[in-house]
Amino acid sequence: MNTTIWLVRREFWENRAIWMMPAIIGGLMILAALFGSVDLMASATQLPSRAVGQLFFVTVGATFFAVMSIYSTWYLLDCLYSDRKDRSVLFWKSMPISDTRTVMSKLATALIVIPLVYFAAANLTTLLMGFIISVRAISSVGGALWHVDLWLQTQALWLYLILTAAVWYLPIAAYLLVVSAWAKRAVMLWSIMPPLACIIAERWLFGTQVIAQRLGERLMGLPRVAFNAKLGSWVSAGVDTNTFTTPANLWSFIDLRGFLANAETTIGAALGVALIGCAIQLRIRRTEI
Amino acid sequence: MTALIEARDLTKKYGAQLALDRANFSVETGRIVGLIGPNGAGKTSALRAILGLTAYEGRLRVLNREPFRERTELMRDACFIADVAVLPAWLRVDQAIDFVAGVHPRFRRDRAMALLAKTQITGKRRMRELSKGMKTQVHLALTMAIDAKLLVLDEPTLGLDILARRAFYDALVNDYMDETRTILITTHQVEEVENLLTDVLFIDKGRIVLDSSLDDIGTRYAAVAVAADRVEAARAEKPFFERRMLGKVVLYYEQPNLEKLAGFGEVHTPSVADLFVAKLSGAVE
Repeated sequence: MNTTIWLVRREFWENRAIWMMPAIIGGLMILAALFGSVDLMASATQLPSRAVGQLFFVTVGATFFAVMSIYSTWYLLDCLYSDRKDRSVLFWKSMPISDTRTVMSKLATALIVIPLVYFAAANLTTLLMGFIISVRAISSVGGALWHVDLWLQTQALWLYLILTAAVWYLPIAAYLLVVSAWAKRAVMLWSIMPPLACIIAERWLFGTQVIAQRLGERLMGLPRVAFNAKLGSWVSAGVDTNTFTTPANLWSFIDLRGFLANAETTIGAALGVALIGCAIQLRIRRTEI
Repeated sequence: MTALIEARDLTKKYGAQLALDRANFSVETGRIVGLIGPNGAGKTSALRAILGLTAYEGRLRVLNREPFRERTELMRDACFIADVAVLPAWLRVDQAIDFVAGVHPRFRRDRAMALLAKTQITGKRRMRELSKGMKTQVHLALTMAIDAKLLVLDEPTLGLDILARRAFYDALVNDYMDETRTILITTHQVEEVENLLTDVLFIDKGRIVLDSSLDDIGTRYAAVAVAADRVEAARAEKPFFERRMLGKVVLYYEQPNLEKLAGFGEVHTPSVADLFVAKLSGAVE
């Protein structure tokens, strides 16, 4: 366990963007709260106070998570590749650390550690922004941001999302690691080429789009699988009536059992485990570029 | 005494190319062995196989382990510098020390600090800010602070100036080496390591062409500098290599008849560097 902690710490040393990027995003948001106008928010004040608060929590959080998903993708593509590119793999491999542990530490960094860093940054930002906006007291918005129960619910929601995303996106993360351990150059290109080639070949040979569809479902399907049907009806109701009502309980959307029982989850996880095995074997065998 | 490294028919193929061609050798505990060969002879492949960095065919045991399958366990007792300047550019010196101290059970931080104190390098420097020679010094300090049974060095002093090279080899022999340790070293600067080696392995085209202790070289090989008029007679004793030098011809013999050779001129034991040239060029002629 101790070794794994050192391996994760090393990822922080190498990839300072892990904490610098969320720090910058948070800083910009806080600056906006300090000096920006809150007109946008004010226009939303026709909405009930709880809805404003919720919008606020979700918007800040979603911004962080959007940036994080892009960064994590890049991180996974780069992590094993950069060790080989600068030949430092020869140093890392001189330590009594198995390649399995190394690969797993990078996977855990991408799927758990980085999301938790962004989660913490998003939380800190929300609290500071809420505080600043309340103190500036430009509108009634300020008060709307202090719903302790809402805040707690959003926390649970984000943590639940981190957990389910780690499982749901496992095959994609593992695939990126395989590319990172295998490619001699242009990891980005190599990560896109095989699925693209498959999609084109399928269309050309069979005229179908099964792969493209499956891929799209994997990339976009997490909310559908991780939350129950109530979320969908709530969102569409909100869109239809052009009003935003707050459900009494955000937790009621969470459907962990349904998520775990879903065949898509299980198949994806199994594929992910197989691909992790590939990435480890490649890390063992491919020392240099 | 048991062999620390034992290779039987060690073979490594890259596609159709044979980097190691049924190489046989063994290294015993307490020795300082020089693995010497021209570029592309298979030195690096042999070292990579010994360190578990590459798969191979044939039988190979290092510290009683199978390197490729048991690299993690092997690295507790063996350490290596497989190439110069492989410490990543973003790493700080103090981070490197912290990391190795954190993951390596045999690392002695005080020793690394003492070694670094002799240099101009401070802890907050990043590798990208250091010269090639300084990077090598950091890596050597990290490696020599590990209490390992086997130390493998691939061109360890490349990029170091002559003072640093001397200091390194002095430290290696005086501070690091003892009877429980074994060092395997490759270098192009044969003259520089000649005095500290106890054994040499010559490798050429993936095969071991000479496996001898330095002491045995004196009894197994001899060189005679012969005046031009006596060369024909000396050639009758079947030298395996000869070269012209300052109007004389130096002839190299294996299993020499020293009494006879003394009649041709002054007999001496060839240096490792000369023997290397003789052995490898001789095969060509």
